[in-house]
Amino acid sequence: MSNPLAVLRVFALVLLVFALTMLAPAAVALVQNDSAAGAFQRGCLATLAAALLLWGLTRRHTEELRIRDGFLLVSLVWVVVPAFAALPLLIHFPAMSFTDAYFEAVSGLTTTGATVIEGLDTLPYSINLWRALLVFLGGMGLIVLAVAILPLLGVGGRQLFSAESPGPIKETKLTPRMAQTAKGLWLVYLGLALACTLGYVWAGMGWGDAVIHMFTTLGLGGFSSHDASYAYFNSPRIEFVAIVFMTLAGMNFATHFMALRQRSPACYWADPEIRWYVGVMYASVLGIAVFLWLDGTYAEFGTALRFAAFNVISIATTTGFASTDYAQWPFFAPLWMLFLCSFVTCAGSTGGGMKMMRAIIVYREVMRQVVQTVHPNAVRTVKLADAPLPNKIVFAVLAFGFIYMAIIVSLTLLMAFSGLDIVSGFSAVVASFNNTGPGLGQVGPATTYKSLGDFQTWVCTVAMLFGRLEVFTLLVVLTPAFWRR
Amino acid sequence: MERLLAVLNVFARIALIFGLALLLPIGVSWWTGDGALGAFDEALVGTLVIGGALLLATQRFRRELRANDGVLLVVLCWVLLPLIAALPLLLGIPEARFSDVYFEAVSGLTATGATAFSGLDRLPPSINLWRTELHWIGGLGIIVLAVAILPLLGVGGRQLMKAEVPGPVKEAGITPRVTETAKGFWIIYVVLTVLCTLAYGLFGMSWLDALTHAFSTVALGGFSSHDASFAYFDSPVLEAITIGFALISGMSYVTHFAALAGRSLRPYLRDGEAPFYLGVLGASVLLVAVYVWHHGHYDEFAVALRHAAFNTVSVATTLGYASTDYSKWPFFAPLWMLFLCSFATCSASTGGGIKMMRAIVLYKQVFREAVHAIHPNATTFIKLGGAVVPNKIILSVLGFGFLYMACTIFFTLVLAASGADILSAFSATVACFNNTGPGLGLVGPDSNYGVFSDFQMWVCSFAMLLGRLEIFTLLVVLTPAFWRK
Repeated sequence: MSNPLAVLRVFALVLLVFALTMLAPAAVALVQNDSAAGAFQRGCLATLAAALLLWGLTRRHTEELRIRDGFLLVSLVWVVVPAFAALPLLIHFPAMSFTDAYFEAVSGLTTTGATVIEGLDTLPYSINLWRALLVFLGGMGLIVLAVAILPLLGVGGRQLFSAESPGPIKETKLTPRMAQTAKGLWLVYLGLALACTLGYVWAGMGWGDAVIHMFTTLGLGGFSSHDASYAYFNSPRIEFVAIVFMTLAGMNFATHFMALRQRSPACYWADPEIRWYVGVMYASVLGIAVFLWLDGTYAEFGTALRFAAFNVISIATTTGFASTDYAQWPFFAPLWMLFLCSFVTCAGSTGGGMKMMRAIIVYREVMRQVVQTVHPNAVRTVKLADAPLPNKIVFAVLAFGFIYMAIIVSLTLLMAFSGLDIVSGFSAVVASFNNTGPGLGQVGPATTYKSLGDFQTWVCTVAMLFGRLEVFTLLVVLTPAFWRR
Repeated sequence: MERLLAVLNVFARIALIFGLALLLPIGVSWWTGDGALGAFDEALVGTLVIGGALLLATQRFRRELRANDGVLLVVLCWVLLPLIAALPLLLGIPEARFSDVYFEAVSGLTATGATAFSGLDRLPPSINLWRTELHWIGGLGIIVLAVAILPLLGVGGRQLMKAEVPGPVKEAGITPRVTETAKGFWIIYVVLTVLCTLAYGLFGMSWLDALTHAFSTVALGGFSSHDASFAYFDSPVLEAITIGFALISGMSYVTHFAALAGRSLRPYLRDGEAPFYLGVLGASVLLVAVYVWHHGHYDEFAVALRHAAFNTVSVATTLGYASTDYSKWPFFAPLWMLFLCSFATCSASTGGGIKMMRAIVLYKQVFREAVHAIHPNATTFIKLGGAVVPNKIILSVLGFGFLYMACTIFFTLVLAASGADILSAFSATVACFNNTGPGLGLVGPDSNYGVFSDFQMWVCSFAMLLGRLEIFTLLVVLTPAFWRK
């Protein structure tokens, strides 16, 4: 049995901080005097009230949280906070259903970037800022989740990563460890944010757009303030800046932190994931560029390379910007991009998917099993960064990989059941579950998720949450065993 | 090299025996005077010459085979025998491409049932009989493979089946063990074929059609002598007979054997798979019937139930007959059927897919992981048929399940890269890899694989082989480690 009341107290504090972040768009709306000012003020007040009420009811439960309480806290944060994040949207768009608003907020906080809103260019700046800010905040939460919490909970072999994260490891209490880890990583995150903003401005964006797109680039989210996404700018220089920062944000932030602290790029080389991450992604860029060029989609190789580089990296890192409607490319290319987004990003990044670390382990374990079939008595172990992995972790990773695929299959079937065609259904599930954003078909880069029915939208919402919380975190809270003593 | 030659020697003898199988279509061709006699005669001479030459050339390398040699023999049989089996097709159907006839022969010997030809009704009856006889011979091999060889190799947790196999286990040589085990099961197989032929013949098929379809039914293949498959007969009685024999054939031959030997039905209850197999199929038939009826595809529920029962059982058991063009059904129904075919059949049957046993282990493992996440130090077990499954086997099953899905993704990507649309690429992959037969889209039940390019035909042939040999068997032979001393 976990301690729900103590968890609720901490959650109330999180919600309180979250309410304060609403002040940012509220202030912007006031300064610019746009129509959304009231929506943010009311949204902020309602969230504050709810947070204070919750805190008031639970404030005496100051017990220290234990590791198991982490499941509940994390699930609460990602499931309940979006409901409040959706408030300004609900108030500002009277015609918007709760389903859509909640979807949009979940999409933001899970750094997915799938949107149900059309006509982004005509929205008040503050609304777009809020959407992007959600992605940025989600990214901050994710780094802590990925580097500090999931390893503690041991979700799908995540124990592995605990060794790499800075700070004490033997800690059994949740809060100090989180705070300790978070500080260093958030500094890196904010540093990158500053650099990215300056980069975008250097490349020619206005300050307003630069901030919004910096938020969604670092969070690997993919919301944009333009319906056309990056095709609106049509600037190779801006695309270049985006590529650089998407690539950086897809790496383990703990590695960035180490590299900065030790002032040595050798840390990147020592990271077992990064070379695979960069290798697979950039090889795919080249492959797809050649494929598009040979296929005649683009007459010039230079153009093919430009579009392939931006869109492949955007999808593979689970960001979800588009500089052209790549759904029109020969079918293999977008399919390969969706394939990449399910495993390419590094653990400890703001990216989604099952993570490169697990992909490497699964690959090595399967190879080990092949060799084992030839030499049944051979003793071989799966190694990572020259250290043999305990069987327990290999086991957990394989099980995770399996569940990952099983969920994609089940949700696709569910989408088909509700009447969606296979391209839209499958791609919507993959894009949501891996927190990428745009799918294909009905939900392609040139369209939005608005055309989906309520039921289908909820399936996508659930997929985003499950994907972001690495399945088990949420699954565990839903099992009766969790609530039993 | 020496090993290859020793195995080739055994293979040559198998090829010679296989050549004798041509006598059946020769007899039929002579009796009906259908004009294909020349093709079969030439094929027989060709087979005897090739087999004889191979036998003589490798005679001095003859020795008792070891376990690893068994792997090579199995691979050689399934890869090379289709070359011989394709001879009559190549000679008898002048317009066929080489990739077509090899595909057809592989489809036959792996009991898949995907056909490259249209206009089956106009083909000489002896050619059609040969096609389904290939299923039947393939079925003989599949039973040996499933009951004796795969458990011996421990492919993907197949060791689970080992304990249940009658006959000596400690045998050093592979040949006595295989022949010993096979005999009992082959008798059941032959009896089932005879019963099925009689049932078909007595309830409306011509005797030639009865034999042709009985071959195909008990092997869970799916070739028919009619383009329209079972829609040609349009007979509920024949469909019921097919359902019955398909269900029996999809169950474990080990269980059939035990039931017959003990003259009791209890083995079916103790079989860890059969209840799930029947349960899942029964529920799915109802689900599909209700879904199709609810969507208004059929006015009467009885009609919906009839077609749902036949086509769902047919696809799920990896048989692959169709009594109507079910690809016209609302999309969820055929997708669900393809989903079923990837796991529904029992492990020691002639069906394809990952097998129910592995599906159960995977399913239980998911819940075990959830429990582990809450209680990291808890010791839990997975039980199957009352016995605890060792962790090592679960790991193998997980690895296999993962590799299975990875292969499905891989083949889909390859087919997409070569220009197929997603529905055709994905369904062709699933249908071939699970040895089912008809896919959807271009390769749907009312169409055939002849529309695919040469390259795509080879990919599909490879998928059928890989699926039938449960990946590892084929993969192992392709690793350098296998050939090293």
